[in-house]
Amino acid sequence: MTIQQSLIEKIRLADRQGANALLDAWATEHGYERLISDVLDPTLLLIGEKWCASGAMTLAQVYIAAKVTEDVLNKIISMRINPSESHPPKGPVVIGNIEEDFHALGRRMVGTFLRAEGWIVHDLGNDVPATVFVDKALEVGARVIGVSAMIMTTALNIKMVRQEIDSRGLTGRIQLAVGGAVFCVSPGLVGEVGGDGTAANALAVPDLFNRLWRQSVEKEAGA
Amino acid sequence: MNSTDRIMATLTGKPLDRRAVAPVLSLYGARLTGCPLDQYYTDPAAYARGQSAVRETFRPDVLCAPLAFASIGAAFGSELVFIDTDVPNIRRPAVQTVEDWNLLVPPDPDTDPRLLYFRESIRLMAAEHRDQVPISMVIPIPADIPGLVMGLEAWLETVLFDPAGAQLVMEKVIPFYVQLVNGFFAAGAKFVAMPCGFASPTIVTRDIVSTFTRPILDRVLSQLHGPVILHNVGAPLLAHLDLLTGLPSVVGVIMDQRDDLARARLVVGPDIVLFGGLDCSTISQMTVSDVENRCRAILEERRQDPRFVLGTSGPDVVWNTPPENIHAMLKTAESIGSVGV
Ligand code: B12
Repeated sequence: MTIQQSLIEKIRLADRQGANALLDAWATEHGYERLISDVLDPTLLLIGEKWCASGAMTLAQVYIAAKVTEDVLNKIISMRINPSESHPPKGPVVIGNIEEDFHALGRRMVGTFLRAEGWIVHDLGNDVPATVFVDKALEVGARVIGVSAMIMTTALNIKMVRQEIDSRGLTGRIQLAVGGAVFCVSPGLVGEVGGDGTAANALAVPDLFNRLWRQSVEKEAGA
Repeated sequence: MNSTDRIMATLTGKPLDRRAVAPVLSLYGARLTGCPLDQYYTDPAAYARGQSAVRETFRPDVLCAPLAFASIGAAFGSELVFIDTDVPNIRRPAVQTVEDWNLLVPPDPDTDPRLLYFRESIRLMAAEHRDQVPISMVIPIPADIPGLVMGLEAWLETVLFDPAGAQLVMEKVIPFYVQLVNGFFAAGAKFVAMPCGFASPTIVTRDIVSTFTRPILDRVLSQLHGPVILHNVGAPLLAHLDLLTGLPSVVGVIMDQRDDLARARLVVGPDIVLFGGLDCSTISQMTVSDVENRCRAILEERRQDPRFVLGTSGPDVVWNTPPENIHAMLKTAESIGSVGV
């Protein structure tokens, strides 16, 4: 079994301790510097591609994956290893739950997996008005805003972010990623709220943000 | 047959004049009566008026007591946010950590006004519809209640990394839950439907269901004074259904619209009533003929099944659903006609 396969197995069994022990053993031999690029990233990618696509992953397992990821990030920071040694920094990006939405868990996991891939994430928290999303994106120079909502009514508030982006002439330059439970049950909703893309699972979000970032750069180059 | 006869006949597998139809129209009553939602979800009389309008307009075979899970969290001290066209949601959980539970006294179902709201709504509805339409209350399973009090993340964290702490929390929740639900039965609820978040294949592993959720269910359900229907919580349930068979008090299971009903029947055996149908969110975007075609396909597929009810999966039929779509469910069942005669 490769280290990636063993790690997936620990996550599948929701065994955070076992996963950490495995990673520590690997890092003692090969160095913590390479832990993210050689082990964590490929594993998260594998889980995202294979497992999430089949819809067979539980929240508990994604949560364990996020916790193990946070454990690794914290360890690396406490050892004063610069995470950008294995990852050139990407972003920045802005994420948050839309106005009136208070379901933080999905958004927080999205933030964790983005950070693991080197993204600089500005997390605005719950109940964020449309103008605040766009103001922050302009302030920090973000090309992607990721907005989370769990229920239908709050998801519809995301239309205001779309309007805010468009009315300030930022269409295409700032890409709008949307997600959360209700998007998984109502496939037409992404288009209805004016989203540029979505992902059914936090593990698939870094990929989506890569794509949207590229789209933004291309749009600006073409303009 | 009236609705109560139809549901009772379904439970016992007797012939029916037509399939029972039970969409979840708790929220929709407020749309019919134009009642502001902060009033609808706090004033039992306003709620009961909404359900009278639901009955008059759609003639469903089951009426729902208030489906408002966040209000249960509010009774523990969670802060609510009221929304114009949707049920209230939790803005801030009552407590943050498992230690906070040591000081927490669960609300008293016999005196807490937020909990009495449910009971009084049931009582008013039962008084009005008692022998004609059965009333069902909907409340998440006991293992979901702490999520409404401390937030899903803190609760998941506790269940995953502090099993002893999770058990202590449940020791506080269980007596509260039994008293609350038995109060619903005493007020006139014919069934209690229980969304199974912490048994759902989208939320927890099989291991968590067998070692944590199921033992709690065994213990709680054996103390209840009425029948229980397990509910999909708005996500496919089939992959964990085998872990939920043979529980005390359970007479039915409400499957998700993505679940294979024939396979569900094999798992639960012949005596359990299966509910299946359209998704509560996407029904709003369907055309009337979409609804008719989908319902017809489901009813044809279940033709030989004496214990099947056509319903909606997930929580409430969403606010902006055209009334014609809801009418179309009953019309389709009527057009197909009798079952097992
Ligand atoms: C478990 C569950 C519950 C549990 C716990 C919920 C909680 N979080 O507190 C209980 C039983 C308590 C519950 C209650 C309610 N629920 Co509920 N619930 C669910 C269920 C099954 C899972 C939701 C969940 O928490 N998942 C875990 C989180 C972390 O996942 P997530 O939000 O999907 O996030 C992931 C991805 O979407 C993605 N993601 C998240 N954000 C973002 C952002 C971006 C930019 C991207 C790209 C990706 C992304 O990454 C995350 C991690 O992988 C869903 C159905 C489903 N199939 O998803 C219904 C669901 C969310 N519930 C729903 C409803 C309506 C409710 C209630 C309002 C019901 C009521 N009438 O009271 C209450 C609200 C209570 C409250 N919190 O105030 C509806 C909402 C749909 C709608 N029509 O509005 C759903 C969709 C069910 C359905 N099929 O209709 N619920």
